[in-house]
Amino acid sequence: MTDFKVDRKTFLTTAAIASAGAAAGFPTILRSTASAKDVIKIGLDYEYTGVYAAYAQSETRGAMMAMDAWNARGGVMGGTRVTTVSEDNDNNPGIAVEKARKLVNVDKCAALMGSINSSVSLAVSGAANAMNILYIDSGGHADAVTGADCKYSTFRTCHSTWMETHATGFSLGKKFGKKWYLITPDYAFGHALDAGYRDVAKKIGATIVGDDLTPLGTTDFSPYLTKVLGAKPDLLLVLVQGDDFVNCLKQAHEFGLVGKIPIGGPQVELEAVWALPEAARVGFWGVEWYYKGANVLGTNNKLATNFVNEYRKKYHTPPTARSAFGYITMDRLLWGINQAKSTNAAKIAHALAGAKFQTIFEGTTYYRAADHQLMWPMWLGGIRAKGTPQDKYDVFDIVDRQEPDSIEQSIAEKAKVCKMVWP
Amino acid sequence: MAHIAPEIFNGLILGAFYAVVAIGLSLIMNLTGTINMAHGSFMTLAGYLAFALIGAGTNYWYALAIAPLIAVVIGILMERTMIRPLYRRDPVYSLLLTFGISLIAEEAFRLIWGPNGVPFSPPKVLSGSISLGFTTFPVYRLFIAGALVVIIIALVIFLQHTRYGLRLRAAVQDREMISALGTNTQLLYMINFGLGILIAGIAGVLAAGMLSLNPQSGNSLLMPAFVTVIVGGMGSLYGAIVGGLLIGLAISLTTLYLPAASEISMYVIMAVVLLVRPRGLFGEEGIFG
Repeated sequence: MTDFKVDRKTFLTTAAIASAGAAAGFPTILRSTASAKDVIKIGLDYEYTGVYAAYAQSETRGAMMAMDAWNARGGVMGGTRVTTVSEDNDNNPGIAVEKARKLVNVDKCAALMGSINSSVSLAVSGAANAMNILYIDSGGHADAVTGADCKYSTFRTCHSTWMETHATGFSLGKKFGKKWYLITPDYAFGHALDAGYRDVAKKIGATIVGDDLTPLGTTDFSPYLTKVLGAKPDLLLVLVQGDDFVNCLKQAHEFGLVGKIPIGGPQVELEAVWALPEAARVGFWGVEWYYKGANVLGTNNKLATNFVNEYRKKYHTPPTARSAFGYITMDRLLWGINQAKSTNAAKIAHALAGAKFQTIFEGTTYYRAADHQLMWPMWLGGIRAKGTPQDKYDVFDIVDRQEPDSIEQSIAEKAKVCKMVWP
Repeated sequence: MAHIAPEIFNGLILGAFYAVVAIGLSLIMNLTGTINMAHGSFMTLAGYLAFALIGAGTNYWYALAIAPLIAVVIGILMERTMIRPLYRRDPVYSLLLTFGISLIAEEAFRLIWGPNGVPFSPPKVLSGSISLGFTTFPVYRLFIAGALVVIIIALVIFLQHTRYGLRLRAAVQDREMISALGTNTQLLYMINFGLGILIAGIAGVLAAGMLSLNPQSGNSLLMPAFVTVIVGGMGSLYGAIVGGLLIGLAISLTTLYLPAASEISMYVIMAVVLLVRPRGLFGEEGIFG
């Protein structure tokens, strides 16, 4: 009789096999395919598993609503229907590039959109450019995407980290004081936010008394939080996002930091706030879009109110900023294809760059031709822990709106770093 | 220096947590040769079950007791129907099976409770923090520390001083012999697997009070537990405890001085231990000797 026991060698070997399997991004999530020739496929390269899975789902839902709206109007380019192929990039830039190549070369997608993690956005942007495919970064915020690594074939819908830090830094400094402590995620997005806040600090004479880089996926923030308590800053800036944000805020409450030290940051995701216990729902944050309020949606914006109502009806929760990113990205991508009457990346890019449009927020907006950044406002909000009696999801009290030109670097400043090469 | 004392204390609690998860893994691994990659999923499952029970009006303390027991029932069903046929095969088979189960479980959690985390919080009596003289510390973490100590002591008594514990340890040494002497080894495997899942379940509910509870939250605690098993030495209860405390302290103190290296510190310790003492600090033949 064969009898197996686990020795150290077997354990290490098998654990390595499992790790390799996990790193390869298994399983591949193929959500929809289309075989007909008279359809245009859009590739969605997202973090469907891992710490950003909730955001990826919200962006995909928004994108699907925009796609359904175009198909209901007869599709693009005079009757061509649109469909999507989705791939899970496992929150890994290397896998994301492989998935981007697969979406284009195997699934024959005409254009790509995604993602959440800025490092992934930068990687996919490079891969799409090499394949001459148009890519809209829907949700990766690092400045470099529309800055030093800008590409003619890459556009970005969500705000840049510069916009986030400059929309919030001045107000937070004025409201709470000028002695700041930063808890920063240790990757492209966090580093860019860090640089943005350092710029604001320099301009207003604030001091950064502590700045801890935390690995993505950190579960225990208690060592950082005890350091924050010791440093006694005027303001704790929480730059981590996703599950890391939930862990950090939950433990800040646990350690008695909430109430003692004001907390704020460049952005907060509704998905993360909803995952927090009420006692840990605190702070003053940058808001990229909200599903309520005249200073966000406008007073007579039917597109916005229809989007919010249809979304709630379909998914039983309100749309989040991520849902808005997905919606705007898909909508503009299809508009660009329709306008260019082609899936050629350069032709779509020329159509999109600088074209003004109105969408699901108050005001007119455009992807700036100089860097392909969507120029739209940011809002500031305090958290209302319990929501409202009518709507438990309504946790933001929007108090201010910052216009895009006042929070993003000027075209002249961007021209120093963004050198776009067209084919 | 004022920062070091709280970090050491915090690191010890974190380490005790890893130790308890590692003991659950070791129990299953040493008797049946199953490297249970779904261990983290059972932690998550118990957390979600406790969340559901509390949402349905159950008291936190009942939820803490009932949720792990439901996880045990599901675990035993899994062991009887899927893992048992693989006991006499190479461990890679059960590893791949449990890895697959963990992926399915994660998707199932996502389908049932959504990809967002859920707002789980400990009861009011355990909220807030108290002064320990050298630092102010959360009451909930002190409760966790106490609960972990109780679990470890109960396990030591069970394995070292009961007839069943004796049979378990004997079965690891020679399964055929103990079977020949009349012990129902299949029952032994089942109860042992259930015990491992029970520990994972309790740890999962405790963790949900201080960490995000989401579809992959248990899996994020699994890797430190595996490293703890390797550092402490396979088959050693005391090794798991010392290994866990060592890893917890290393992560906590590295965070104080070099935050960016906090995650990698446990792998450095593992590499050093494997180079200097490949069997781990307390590694030896047999289980929990």
